[in-house]
Amino acid sequence: MSREDFGEEGARPFAFFRAGARAEPGVANKPILVLEDVYKYFRVDQPTLRGVNLTVERGEFVFVTGPSGAGKSTLLQLIYRKHTVDDGRILFSGRDIARLTERSIPYLRRNLGIVFQDFKIIGHWTVFENVAIALEILSMPRRLVRARVAEALERVGLSGRGDALTDTLSGGEQQRVAVARAIVTEPALILADEPTGNLDPHLAIDVLTLFEEINATGTTVLFATHDHSLIAKRDHRLVSIDEGRVVESRRGLTTWAGGLHSVGG
Amino acid sequence: MDLKAAVTRARRGLREERGLYLVAVSSLAVAFLCLAGVLLATQNLSTMAARWGQSGRVSVYLAGDASPDDVTKLEGLLRGLPDVARVEHVTSAQARADFLEHADVGAALGQLPPEAFPASLEVTLAPSATAQRVDAIAGRVKSFAAVTDVETYRGWFDQLDTLVSAGRVAAIVLAALVALCVLAVIGNTIRLAVARRRQEIEVMKLCGATDGFVRGPLVLEGTFQGFVAAVIAILVLMVGFLALKDPINATVAALIGVRVAFLSSWMVVAVIVGGAVIGAAGSALSVRRYLDV
Repeated sequence: MSREDFGEEGARPFAFFRAGARAEPGVANKPILVLEDVYKYFRVDQPTLRGVNLTVERGEFVFVTGPSGAGKSTLLQLIYRKHTVDDGRILFSGRDIARLTERSIPYLRRNLGIVFQDFKIIGHWTVFENVAIALEILSMPRRLVRARVAEALERVGLSGRGDALTDTLSGGEQQRVAVARAIVTEPALILADEPTGNLDPHLAIDVLTLFEEINATGTTVLFATHDHSLIAKRDHRLVSIDEGRVVESRRGLTTWAGGLHSVGG
Repeated sequence: MDLKAAVTRARRGLREERGLYLVAVSSLAVAFLCLAGVLLATQNLSTMAARWGQSGRVSVYLAGDASPDDVTKLEGLLRGLPDVARVEHVTSAQARADFLEHADVGAALGQLPPEAFPASLEVTLAPSATAQRVDAIAGRVKSFAAVTDVETYRGWFDQLDTLVSAGRVAAIVLAALVALCVLAVIGNTIRLAVARRRQEIEVMKLCGATDGFVRGPLVLEGTFQGFVAAVIAILVLMVGFLALKDPINATVAALIGVRVAFLSSWMVVAVIVGGAVIGAAGSALSVRRYLDV
């Protein structure tokens, strides 16, 4: 681990947990993510999340599903500290992220790869620039940036497309750029918020497979989707949220009581 | 913050928003031109005031019945003073002749008798003579019976001093207005640029960028705008100055005895550095509100 990983405790409370890297003893045995009785209110009389309890182990692939407005995105936003919990705790690698100061949030996010439904890539930047920004933020030397970006693009099937403007790519390719940006830093946890929402079913399966390949290298993936056809094709752990509550959390849809139709969404 | 990366991203920002920044820099250059123009005028007025103050002269008017001995004694006394460079005795007849020779007067004034032009001692003061010491000399000379009046020309200097002081105040007020104007223009330009780059900022913040990482290039862009605008203003002023210098020196400067000069080097540096600093400040202030992602 680099010197930067062990910066000032107040400013940088998180070491940089790269996937596959040997974690500190103690941390390695802990679940990567624990939500304890989490509440989030955007309206006083109507909590978006109410008493959510969830534990995600290292290296897991977890589908988070539920109908629109159930609180899937809010759950992910609490993890990357776009919002703060109103009650309860969220522990990332054993640390309560609700207690982070504003200055510390960037150091939390450097441990996460975030992928969105609307891709959030910059259209007038090249593919390379869109991916490299995640490494430039880490002040990585240019030569290393080039090597790591090339590697990430190869993993998502965009090898040799670095110079293309992202505006000129198809939707599926743009989402691959976003995935490359998320994985290029080799984060410990990837949060995917409806990453296939804007893609046709064929591309959606491709992107899901891509996330599974990333998961196979040791990266934990939290994949929010309301697409049952995707969930049905895979046997990953499934967490269903409805009206702000985790109503079920099991491995695989096949074990789900009542089958596909009992899952919210 | 990685300065090299910030510079690279600032360059890209300037390239992408060049239309917007061109308009902003033009507006700022006009503001800086006004400021530099007032500074130039004030500087030359100050030089003129200093020059006139240094090359002061005093006219000691003698009584009609002053004896040659009294005049010689007075002359000797004045010559002995350290602040006096030269003393010249001008008789009544010489004064009349000088007046008729240099002044374009009609026949009626030419008929004036020599008694209308009192004899005087024309005292040229040393460059080191201050206004206080000149006043002290005048007070002392006035006490002589052979002296009817002493003219120190302080009224002119006081008026010029007032003018220079007013110019300085105007320059300060204008500098404050220009600073506000620059802050507003750069602030709004950066705000517009930031609004157009909101998604970039959001992406950077979601990837773990610190506020400094996001703010750095934008502050550099603001600094660059202020710097370039100030440099353009100085260059335009210099071109204007060079074009007008000779006609001014041939007319006004010949009358007042001072040649006009361009802004001093330190003042040029101050305007340019000031432009860059205000640009940076305006940028830093405006970007703050967009960092909450």
